[in-house]
Amino acid sequence: MATPTDRQPPRLDRRQREALLGFLFITPLLLWLVATIVWPLIASIHLSLQDVRIIGTTSEFIGLDNYGRVLGDDRFWGAVGRSGIWIVGNAILQTLLAFSAALALKRRFPGVRVARTWIILSWIVPTVVAVVIWRFLLNASGGGLINPLLITLGLTESGVGFFGSGETAFATLVVINSWRWFPFITVILLAALLRVPSDLYEAASIDGASAAAQFRYITLPLLQPTLFVVGLIGTLLSFNVFDVIWLLTAGGPSSDTTTVPVMIYETAFKQFRLSQAAAMSVITAGLLVAFAAFFVKVAKPKEAF
Amino acid sequence: MTRWRGSAAQVIVLGLLAIFVLLPFYWVVAGSFRTPEEVIARAAPWFPRSLTLEHYGNLLRQSPFPTYLLNSLIVAFGTMAFTVVVSTLAAYGFYRLRFPGREWLLNATLLAYAFPGVLLIVPMYGMMSTLGLIDSLMSLIVINVTFAAPFAVWMMKAFFQTIPLELEEAAILDGASRFQVLTRIMLPLTAPGVASIAIFAFVMSWTEYMFASILILSDDQRTLPVGLAGIIGQYQIDWGLLLAGATLITLPVVILFAMIGRYFVEGMTAGAVK
Repeated sequence: MATPTDRQPPRLDRRQREALLGFLFITPLLLWLVATIVWPLIASIHLSLQDVRIIGTTSEFIGLDNYGRVLGDDRFWGAVGRSGIWIVGNAILQTLLAFSAALALKRRFPGVRVARTWIILSWIVPTVVAVVIWRFLLNASGGGLINPLLITLGLTESGVGFFGSGETAFATLVVINSWRWFPFITVILLAALLRVPSDLYEAASIDGASAAAQFRYITLPLLQPTLFVVGLIGTLLSFNVFDVIWLLTAGGPSSDTTTVPVMIYETAFKQFRLSQAAAMSVITAGLLVAFAAFFVKVAKPKEAF
Repeated sequence: MTRWRGSAAQVIVLGLLAIFVLLPFYWVVAGSFRTPEEVIARAAPWFPRSLTLEHYGNLLRQSPFPTYLLNSLIVAFGTMAFTVVVSTLAAYGFYRLRFPGREWLLNATLLAYAFPGVLLIVPMYGMMSTLGLIDSLMSLIVINVTFAAPFAVWMMKAFFQTIPLELEEAAILDGASRFQVLTRIMLPLTAPGVASIAIFAFVMSWTEYMFASILILSDDQRTLPVGLAGIIGQYQIDWGLLLAGATLITLPVVILFAMIGRYFVEGMTAGAVK
């Protein structure tokens, strides 16, 4: 027999209800991410233990053979090395560009609001547009901008083939990618810079601190938490870059610009060795997690102010 | 009146930056209006001698560009709708409600934004083929939301923070549910934020190349970035056509950004600096 009190739903206190609601609100996002990131990752482990070449075909489990093959492949480690150089090159160039831009945009000038918004321009255009822009600008066979300029300045006689040799192609890609990504870093650095209380600088000026000293002892320490986030996310995002490289050099000449993402794509969809590409993906995910853990351990700022 | 206390160094840096960012765009847009001979001329003049719309005409009438455009619009609006719903709900949960594991889940979600898409592309292809979504625009919407939503949640933080908690409490005392608080109070008051994440989702989708190059097989389902890349891949590049295409793809992004850019940049940065 149900008594009136039994029929009432179990009463949750305010905190429990709030927690339940919180979970409810984030559930669609979590389900989405689990279905499109977590599940595929598990699927790729499954795939990496087989010998599937073309999607839809079946294969038996071959254990860790693919892992052995990838780990013993010099070309894979070559790609890992190039990805490392890629990350470092981009980090250096983008840090320089973004810091100069953020410091220049920090102080007011006529039109500063417009400039602070539109600095983002090269980040928001489609990658394929960035590719068209730079292919055209660097074109050696007419129509370009850079080569005629270099010829006029007398720096070269017949124009530079920017994608001709491995080194120049790699360096050119770093510049193009930095052109595309430095605005993203600039905007975040600028926001952090603008939050540094200006009386700190005033006090330092009164005490006779030089601009360099102010930067070193006020700006940098207060920027630490932001630099930590930008360093971590920026490194991962740099590592990710695929389409600029693929569309400009397709990893060439002779795989001199084949970073890990390019190699995975090529292995899976040009050479049709899906299982091997899946093994590469799993190994790479492991390397990135290790990097992230290392970065957090080394660089995580102690709670500043 | 704010007094300009600029230094010479600041002027030089700003000038170089403006050239570095803007000149490439100028050269391409100007090129799209040049005559075919002038486009590929060695040392073309700074300003086109005679303006022509020939390349735009070819693009819209003789190339599959209009089909690509329609596909891109469908995917972008689809991505936008799902992203706005999923991420405003999640942002409200994360930033306004307290529950165990909140910080941890939030950080895990944000890492998804930086997650290398290329690591997903192999299993994603298998997954979409199991679901029968290969060669369908829906597959692109699904994957684009994955990479737009986490950052959109992050962006909403700044906008939600501007709404005083008392306002919510008052509404709840009046008998409103949390969902009503979100849809009737929070979202209308943070309209610029909602617009910002909508545009962010649009831009992400508009730009996406890698998944679209793999998950779409037939020409009439192709999106703009892949379609345009197809023109680059041709043996004889028709530069005029390509430049006109690049200009037209960029146009919607620039227009949207002109409308909402300031809020967008504010929202983008708020998460990083707390």
